[in-house]
Amino acid sequence: MKNDNPLSPHIQIYSWHISSLVSICHRITGIINIIIITLICFWVSFLLLGNSNYELVYNFFGTFFAKFMIIGTVWSFSFQILSEIRHLFWDLGIGFELKTSNITGLLVIFGSFILTIFIFILGRNLFL
Amino acid sequence: MVQINLPQNSKVQKGKYYKDQTGSKNIRKVNIYRWDPSTGENPRIDTYEVDMDNCPSKVLDLLNKIKNEIDPSIAYRRSCAHGVCGSCAMNMDGKNGLACTKPHKEIKGDINIYPLPHLKVQKDLIGDLSTLYKQYASVEPWLKNSKKDENKENIQSIEDRSKLDGLYECIMCACCSTSCPSYWWNGDKYLGPAVLLQAYRWIIDSRDEERKERLKKVADELKLYRCHTIMNCTNACPKGLNPAKAIASIKKMLATS
Repeated sequence: MKNDNPLSPHIQIYSWHISSLVSICHRITGIINIIIITLICFWVSFLLLGNSNYELVYNFFGTFFAKFMIIGTVWSFSFQILSEIRHLFWDLGIGFELKTSNITGLLVIFGSFILTIFIFILGRNLFL
Repeated sequence: MVQINLPQNSKVQKGKYYKDQTGSKNIRKVNIYRWDPSTGENPRIDTYEVDMDNCPSKVLDLLNKIKNEIDPSIAYRRSCAHGVCGSCAMNMDGKNGLACTKPHKEIKGDINIYPLPHLKVQKDLIGDLSTLYKQYASVEPWLKNSKKDENKENIQSIEDRSKLDGLYECIMCACCSTSCPSYWWNGDKYLGPAVLLQAYRWIIDSRDEERKERLKKVADELKLYRCHTIMNCTNACPKGLNPAKAIASIKKMLATS
């Protein structure tokens, strides 16, 4: 029998928690990372093709959009790695208490930004 | 399948506004999801102004007050009013819980009350949980033991018994399962946190003799591994249990056995 009753509202009304936010970001950054890795592969094979191609890539990375993309990529990878570490602990059965998972969730969120800044500074050789 | 938008017949409309008749100064607005199967109309949100000076502390008291004094047509499930039966599970202020244990003081602003998410609505705040009950039956939630001697006690050590703590307290209110996005998108195949917690309760019971069969039955890409540790279940559980941890324990047992 077909049930034509309405469906109660779900994602429209459900409030976000730290853990659900980190979970959806983990998915999104995962997809972004796959795309980025593919692009990096193209970039590397591009360089193999010679000098003029190197110029092209070099000029592209000079633009504001490309810089934004690189920092976004660094954040995406940072987030994915930290979240993945959290998942590894979960796989061992550690860190499921509500309080612990909220703290580790916040660590992932803030840690990803801190790691991004850290890698940026490292890349600029500002430590030396 | 992921379906973010509600189907056409489920779109929520603005409903009636019930103005306060008592002249009280301490008023709160309560928005309640309404759907009447006899009219064929879309669901609506009715707003009630409630006199909070003469209202006990819990959301269920608030609903009772509205039903008794303002609008007797509103439908919801309730029974024990002490957080034991699990009948009054609903979505309050964007979070699932039991109306009888949730103080309305904890909710800031207007009080929004919806049925449990992503269920077929039967009337107003009553959702259809028959799929969940079928899934519950599918894990065969009873003791399987070949010992036929009924005159002897089936002894369990204190340690083995303590493994059931945090599992046996589950009242099957469905707050966790209906808070889980994975269960929203794959509710027909994925068992959901409530049923998996129950499955684990029987897997880990030292008196049960079919642990292997139970594990084998639940080890399925869709039945079990749709859990992505979103942890909405643990956040929602009104009894303070941890379905996410129970599911992880099943995964761990499967990985190590």
